[in-house]
This record gives sequence, C-alpha cells and structure tokens, in this order.
Amino acid sequence: MRPIKAIIMRNLMKFVRDRMRLFFTLLMSGLFLFIFSFATKSIGINLAHPMNYLISGIIIMTVFQTSLNNSMSILEDISSGFMKEILVAPIARWQIATGQVVSSMIISTLQGLIIIVVGIFIGLDVDFIHGILMIALMCLVGLTFSSLGLYLASITKESANYQLLVTLLVLPLTFLSGAYIPTMALPKMVAPIVYLNPLTYTTSAFRYVSLHMENQSTAELIASGVAFNINGFIMTPAIGVVLIMAMGAVFFTLCVKKFSDADFSRVKVFKRGRR
Amino acid sequence: MTNKSIEVVNFTKKFGSFTAVDNISFDVEEGSVFAFLGPNGAGKSTTINTLCTIQEKTEGELRINGNDVTHQKDSVRKDIGIVFQESTLDGKLTVDENLRLHCDFYKVPNEKVNERIAFALELVDLADWKKAPVESLSGGMKRRVEIARGVVHFPKILFLDEPTTGLDPQTRANVWDYILKLQKQEHITIFLTTHYMDEAEICNKVAIIDHGKIVAHDTPSDLKKQYATTTMKIKTSRGDDFAKYITEHKLTYQRENHSFVVHVTTIEDVLEITSLFRESIEDIEINKGTLNEVFIAITGKEIRE
Repeated sequence: MRPIKAIIMRNLMKFVRDRMRLFFTLLMSGLFLFIFSFATKSIGINLAHPMNYLISGIIIMTVFQTSLNNSMSILEDISSGFMKEILVAPIARWQIATGQVVSSMIISTLQGLIIIVVGIFIGLDVDFIHGILMIALMCLVGLTFSSLGLYLASITKESANYQLLVTLLVLPLTFLSGAYIPTMALPKMVAPIVYLNPLTYTTSAFRYVSLHMENQSTAELIASGVAFNINGFIMTPAIGVVLIMAMGAVFFTLCVKKFSDADFSRVKVFKRGRR
Repeated sequence: MTNKSIEVVNFTKKFGSFTAVDNISFDVEEGSVFAFLGPNGAGKSTTINTLCTIQEKTEGELRINGNDVTHQKDSVRKDIGIVFQESTLDGKLTVDENLRLHCDFYKVPNEKVNERIAFALELVDLADWKKAPVESLSGGMKRRVEIARGVVHFPKILFLDEPTTGLDPQTRANVWDYILKLQKQEHITIFLTTHYMDEAEICNKVAIIDHGKIVAHDTPSDLKKQYATTTMKIKTSRGDDFAKYITEHKLTYQRENHSFVVHVTTIEDVLEITSLFRESIEDIEINKGTLNEVFIAITGKEIRE
C-alpha cells in the first residue's frame, strides 16, 4: 500500500502546486456555463430548471475532461525521465497503475466538487444523500476515464499525439452527450452516435441523481433526456452506470497490462539512438 | 569462493534487425567496482537497462545476486540502486521530497527514513539544500541529488550510467570521493559506465565493449600490461654503453645523441637500468601507459568519438 499512497500523494502535491491548471479548468467550466445558459434558454425545450440541468452536465463534463487531462502527467513523467525512477522501483505494476488512476480520480472529483459549490449558489439543490451519490458517481466517472486516459497516454507515448487524440475525442463526444446541449435538441441524424457515446450515459446518470429524478416515470425521464428509448429498449440511468463500470474495469485492466510491459520505457531509449 | 553480484551469460539484445548487444558474458564480484567502457552506441546502456529490469533481453541469462532479471524482477529491483545517464528526478519536488518518495518506493522502514536521508545528503554535501526545489539546483547539484537518491535505500549493487558526464572536473572529483566513501562504508558492488579513463583506473575490473561485443576484460593494470607501454626517457653521458645494454636486453628504444626513449615492460627493468647507470644519468622521466592507450589499441578509436 505504501507505494500506491506515495504515488497518490506526489500527484496531489503536484496538482496543488500547479495552480494555473486548476484556474483554467474552472475558467473553462464557467465559460461553458455562461455560453450554454443562453443556448439552453433559446432552444425552447421545456425543462423545469434549465440552469440546474445545464450545470449538472457541466459538473460531470469537468470530471471527465480533468480525468483525461490528468493522464498527460504520465507523459510528462516519461519525458522528464521520472517514469524510469518509478519503473525500476520494486513496486508491482498494478500498484503503479492504481496510484496514477486513483490520484487522477481524486483531482477530477475535487474539481467537480468546486463546481457543485458554485452550482449551489446558482440554485442546485443538494442534500446529504444526493450529495453522497453525486460524489460516488463522480468518483466512478473519474476512475473510468482516468483509466481510459492513462491507457491512451501509454499507447500514444508522445504528448503532442495524445493531446490531438484527446481533442479529437473530447469535442464530439461532449457535444453529443447532452451535457451542454440537451439530447432532445440534437438533430435526429446524430442519434446513433449519441446512443453509442458513453458520455451520454455518464451525463444522464449524473443528472438523474443531481436533479432528484427518482420519482419520475420512465416517460418523463425520456422526455427530459435522462433515459433513452433505443428502438424499444429503455436505457435507464442504472444500466448506464453499469456500462461505465464495465468500461472502467476494461480500461484499468488494459493499463495494468501496459505497465507490466517492461519495454514501456523504450520510447526514450530509441530516441537517444538505441544505445 | 567469492559471491557474484552480477552474472551475465550469453546475453543478446536485438532491436528489430539491429543487434545492440551480441552474445556477451561476464560477472562482477561482490564488493568490487566494475567499469564498462565503450564508444557511444556500443551497447552499454542496453546492458544496464536490461540488468535493471526495464528492458527485456532477447537471449541469454542475467542474474543479480542470484535472481533472474526476467523472472524475479521484484527481487532484483529491491537489491539495486541506479543513477541513470539522464536526470530522473522530479523537478517540481524538493530534494527532500524526491528522496522521501524513493524511500516509500523501496519500503525503507518509516523510523529510518529521516536518518537515511540525512546520511545520503551528508554524503554528497547537500544537507543544507534539503528544502530546495530540484529544478532550482545547478546541474552538478542535481547529479549529486541523483547519487544520494540512488544510495538512500542502501542497495547491494549500485549502477552508475555515466554518472559524472557534463560535470566540471572539481565536481567530478567530489562525486567520486562520495561514491568511493560509500562503497567502502557499505561494501556495495558498483557497476559503472563512463567516458573518463581516469574513472576506470580506480576500478577492480574493466570490460571494454565495442559493436555489442566484449573485446577485453581484465584488471586495469593487466590491460595496460597487455595493450599499453610504459616509456622511460633518459639522458645519459654513457650513451654507447647504454645502447649496448638495452639491445642486449631486447628492449626497443629510440636514440637521439645522449637521449633515449626506452619502452619498458616491468618495473624491474627500470630499477636495474637506473642502478647500473646511476652516476651517468643526467635526466629521467617515466611515462606510464594509460587505459586510454589500451582503449585506442583495442577499439581503434578515442572513447569520446
């Protein structure tokens, strides 16, 4: 346990010292809130609390994006050489992966929490039970997408490529997830992508919890874009959560496998002229 | 019988069709200092990377303290400390935090961490810089932090991959003082690669690798006996007698009036000559053969190439 804890503490310490990163994520979230609050109003869909609807989407997107961005840090570690120090240490490879993923999860969840606090001032209603559920969901989303990010980082190996890949993934997936623009307002044409997009279910599950929708009927849930009728199959938020869990498990396993690969550090060796 | 810290048998490493290391074998005795010399690209770092478990071998057997580097990675990792060619410190953390992290990774008992860090920093004269962020230090100081970190968990075997490259001569000398002090105190085995021949002189054994093959493996003095020559410049008033004597003893020489340059092989030759011609010697100068000559004789090039 000690090495895992050490890796987590190191990453958290670096996050706390790097205030610019925190500042820009929060600035981004604020900007999205500002821009899309106009969009949501003008689309003219009947939502009980459009602002709350939007902010819950922004919270979970912040968690998602932060998770992916955090994985950049392992690329920095590879290029700064520090990854070598970790790789030659007598630490089980699953412990290294766990330390990286868990620290990324904690950072993402913390950033999500900050936006929740902002949301409470705007009118988001959070009681104790729902608060706990929201944190649990943020942790789950953080774990899943940090694993995905770490896996992608370990296969791209270069930060320029990774950034490109992340931008390529993040932009369409976030806009087609209903987080900023409700899925009901999206053109019918993109529906298949919306249904295949894991972020759709991430967003809907989080909305279900944060907007206290547990007493609504399935029809009402579908009308507010929290459940989906896919050719007769009703995709409920609960199924969505299971899906995200499964996805997280798959990518975490892939990460551990990647870290067990001893030639993981070879990137560097090759660049230096195969000495 | 002495114990072997490192055993390498028929080790080969290929990158695609390129053979970086070609069927090499050697071993290193416990508590000794072993130098691995070779021009750039000869396969030194490949060998180190494979020995410290971050690269897979293609063929052969490599053991650290009897543990196989492919199948017993964790036992191997516990026993070794490494100072890599390039920096592997976390620049954003302080000196102390870097060392502490290392202690956590290597499970140094909690109650001993402070004492060990103090010891390691004392060794490299950086006790006053504990709280400084690593990125604020000079290149030489970073190297010393790296060395302190390499030894803070008291490894049984210390790998030094060109530990002093890029350091000024004074820092280089200091770093070596620290390393040797530690080696004597803790009786650790040192595996060194270096560009500097004077660093190789202090080693117990030297192996020279070129194009992935070990081309020489011996003690520095035996290598010099085989591949380098010691010359004695002598000026004597009894030039003809001297020339006759040298020829009788089958030593090669160059003569210029009363001055001779004689190639000597043993110290006995020198003693005999000087005692015989004692009263006639006007000037004498002895140049010992260097490992650099050995290196050039074997690989046909300067190590700096």
